[in-house]
Amino acid sequence: MVLLVTSDNEQFTADKEVVERSVLIKNMLEDVGESDQPIPLPNVSSSVLKKVLEYCEHHRGEPLPSADADQNQDETRKRTTDISEWDQKFITVDQEMLFEIILAANYLDIKSLLDVGCKTVANMIKGKTPEEIRKLFNIVNDFTPEEEAQIKKENEWAEDR
Amino acid sequence: MPPANASPPMPPASADLVTTWAFLEEGVDHIMTKLQTGVSYSKYMSLYTVAYNYCTSSKMHGQEGIGLGSKSGASLMGSDLYNNLIRYFTNHLQGLREVAETLQDEALLRYYATEWDRYTTGANYINRLFTYLNRHWVRRERDEGRKNVYPVYTLALVQWKACLFVPIQKQRKLAGAILRLIEDQRNGETIDQGLVKKVVDSFVSLGLDDADTNKACLDVYQEHFESPFIDATEVYYKHESEAFIASHSVSDYLKKAEERLKEEEDRVDRYLNTQTRKPLISKCEAVLIREHSELMWENFQNLLDFDKDEDLQRMYALLSRIPEGLEPLRKKFEEHVKKAGLAAVERLTAESTERGEATDAVEPRAYVDALLEVHTKNSETVSRSFRGEAGFVASLDKACREFINRNAATGTSNSKSPELLAKHADLLLRKSNKVSEENDLEGALNRVMILFKYLEDKDIFQTFYTTKLSKRLIHGVSASDESESSMISKLKEACGFEYTNKLQRMFTDMSLSKDLTDNFKSRMEQNHDDMDISFSIMVLGTNFWPLNPPPHDFVIPQEILTTYDRFQKYYQMKHSGRKLTWLWNYSKNELRTNYLNQKYILMTSTFQSAILLQYNRNDTLSLEELFVATSIPKEHLVQVLALLVKAKVLANEEKEQYDLNPNFKSKKIRVNLNQPIKAETRAESTEVLKTVDEDRKYVIQATIVRIMKARKTMKNNALLDEVISQLSQRFTPKVPDIKKAIDTLLEKDYIERVENTRDTFAYVA
Repeated sequence: MVLLVTSDNEQFTADKEVVERSVLIKNMLEDVGESDQPIPLPNVSSSVLKKVLEYCEHHRGEPLPSADADQNQDETRKRTTDISEWDQKFITVDQEMLFEIILAANYLDIKSLLDVGCKTVANMIKGKTPEEIRKLFNIVNDFTPEEEAQIKKENEWAEDR
Repeated sequence: MPPANASPPMPPASADLVTTWAFLEEGVDHIMTKLQTGVSYSKYMSLYTVAYNYCTSSKMHGQEGIGLGSKSGASLMGSDLYNNLIRYFTNHLQGLREVAETLQDEALLRYYATEWDRYTTGANYINRLFTYLNRHWVRRERDEGRKNVYPVYTLALVQWKACLFVPIQKQRKLAGAILRLIEDQRNGETIDQGLVKKVVDSFVSLGLDDADTNKACLDVYQEHFESPFIDATEVYYKHESEAFIASHSVSDYLKKAEERLKEEEDRVDRYLNTQTRKPLISKCEAVLIREHSELMWENFQNLLDFDKDEDLQRMYALLSRIPEGLEPLRKKFEEHVKKAGLAAVERLTAESTERGEATDAVEPRAYVDALLEVHTKNSETVSRSFRGEAGFVASLDKACREFINRNAATGTSNSKSPELLAKHADLLLRKSNKVSEENDLEGALNRVMILFKYLEDKDIFQTFYTTKLSKRLIHGVSASDESESSMISKLKEACGFEYTNKLQRMFTDMSLSKDLTDNFKSRMEQNHDDMDISFSIMVLGTNFWPLNPPPHDFVIPQEILTTYDRFQKYYQMKHSGRKLTWLWNYSKNELRTNYLNQKYILMTSTFQSAILLQYNRNDTLSLEELFVATSIPKEHLVQVLALLVKAKVLANEEKEQYDLNPNFKSKKIRVNLNQPIKAETRAESTEVLKTVDEDRKYVIQATIVRIMKARKTMKNNALLDEVISQLSQRFTPKVPDIKKAIDTLLEKDYIERVENTRDTFAYVA
């Protein structure tokens, strides 16, 4: 069992196999060696870690993408926006939690979770107009009308007609 | 683990570069220099987190240190950290270099290897702590084509190479030290192979492929170690081999070279990169073998002469490693075998001359044994010393073919070897062959086949063999049917169905004759009761048996005339239209004596019987009277009589008068008078050759017709070649004979000349 301490000082214990889905923790255990010291996670809050551990628990035992995963595999992984049923349900959270999970996955280096998060965001954006997207993510339009026209022109080719 | 040595507190995510780097540098230095004191989880996590936070912080560009990645849109802060890492490594290595420059040889290697271990272990940690930098900033830089930006671990190696390796290798200090150690080991000293391996491995690690940092690249290893190593190897072995040969025998040198090659192979396995195997071994082969191949070739004969199997093996193994190394050996071996074969036969003929016999009176058995001995011995050499290599097998075959067909016993005759071999086979297959090899008759026959394979004129062997077989069969002296058919199937296997067809038919005739005799006897028993002589007959197909009827008339003795007539009738009735030719000259009889106190059984030829039966009515007869009574020409009659006189059955006291000897005595009850007449034996060989020549004419003609039928038209030379190649299985046809056959076929209109050409023939359908 491994002891984890979150930024808000809550302790979690989990199977080594589960937490090692985080390449960060896996590497550290390899390099530093195992001990009963708690592992501080200064960038992860308890509410988010709970979700992350739930994800890791569900996916335990699945093969980790190897460090030098070959290019093709990487490409196909990027191209598809499909998300499995369980992951879809798992990631159905409010927007803030979604971004927290993405950040944590990035920090902890859990590639598959990062993918699920980013694909979810991508799916949210898909088919929306810039205006709709701004509304969705609370973005203030800081372009001048000239800038906006310029960008539209440059990206004309991408318009779905 | 209590951080008693008070690591500085972790800076907040918003800390600036100076604060951030100060914290990171302390941690990096701890890992690089004091790793053995350990790293706590919290230290590890704080270092990772600080690096992560700095890379992900959204400080605006334009701060200090940015330059490399500033053009990309995202605010990737990596270059700050990356540049600081470079500075750190450079400083760190500067210290190592100062120490290294004071060291030499093994001390230098030890220092280098220890530091290498420490440095690369630390760099591996750092690499992981800066995973985030690698994953994002480094990757993007490289994707954008800046190939001089490396993942952190690779960066550490690049710095090692630039700041430590290249400066101290400038005077070849590292490679020189390794090469000296290897030379020491070649001189028989014990060295620290682990040390060499570690340093050599570091050379491999320092090879970098800029396009793909994961790909191994051997350029550093090759430039800084492999090529000076190969050069040193060449110098070392050139010197050593020359000195060694000057003071040792070639046998010793073979051993030495073999050992050295083995050692170098082992060296690769023990501490070099496997890539070096090929250039190293081929260099060694060039210096140790090719440079001295002339010497080995020269000594080959010597080794053969003294049967130095082990040395031969060694020489073969060594020379087989270089191109064209074996060819001279194969040639010499062929010559050697040929000489040995010729010498063996010469010894035989010399012995028979000593005994006062003619040189061509070589004992078949001795002849065959002598040939076999040479073959066996050298064939063993091929399989043992030359690993049965195809080239040496070919040399052996070529040499054997040569000395088996042409040697002191054969002279210019191409029939002598086949004849002797056939005679030997005959002796083996005879009942009288009391050789202890009874159970190994099969083995002896197999050995005959070994020589048979080399015979050029297999048809001569065939003719002799057929003649001998017919004698064995009609005289009933064959050792066993089993061995006979075993031999025939061997010949069939070697030369095909056609070659043994006649031989097989002879066996068929034998068994048919047995049935015929039985049937005839039982029929006679039913019809007549006066069969007071026992009778058996062989009816032999004229085309399959090499037998000729007597060239003269013969008066059938009254005593057997009745039986003769009855059989003639019986046979004609069974097979009307068949013509029976009586081979009196091959027939034999048994006569019981009634004129002596002791009763003897005289075993005789039919001619002898015909003579002796005359003495049922007279005690004294003149040559003329005997001629009238038997019709045997006088010159032959005299020879037959001479044998009977010699056996003391008849007495020849007055000229041309022969008396029955009333005082005949013999130790045995059964007296064999049926001895061959000398003239007949001598005639046999020439007879056989005549048959062979006659047969060849037809075989050549048949072959030409077959070829022409298939090809329709053909040029003269092509036709000659084709005939020779088709017939070479059986014999080597002479060109004039083929030409003669072509002429005959032209005359008989089987083929014709194509108009307006000088040398093209066409098949006439």
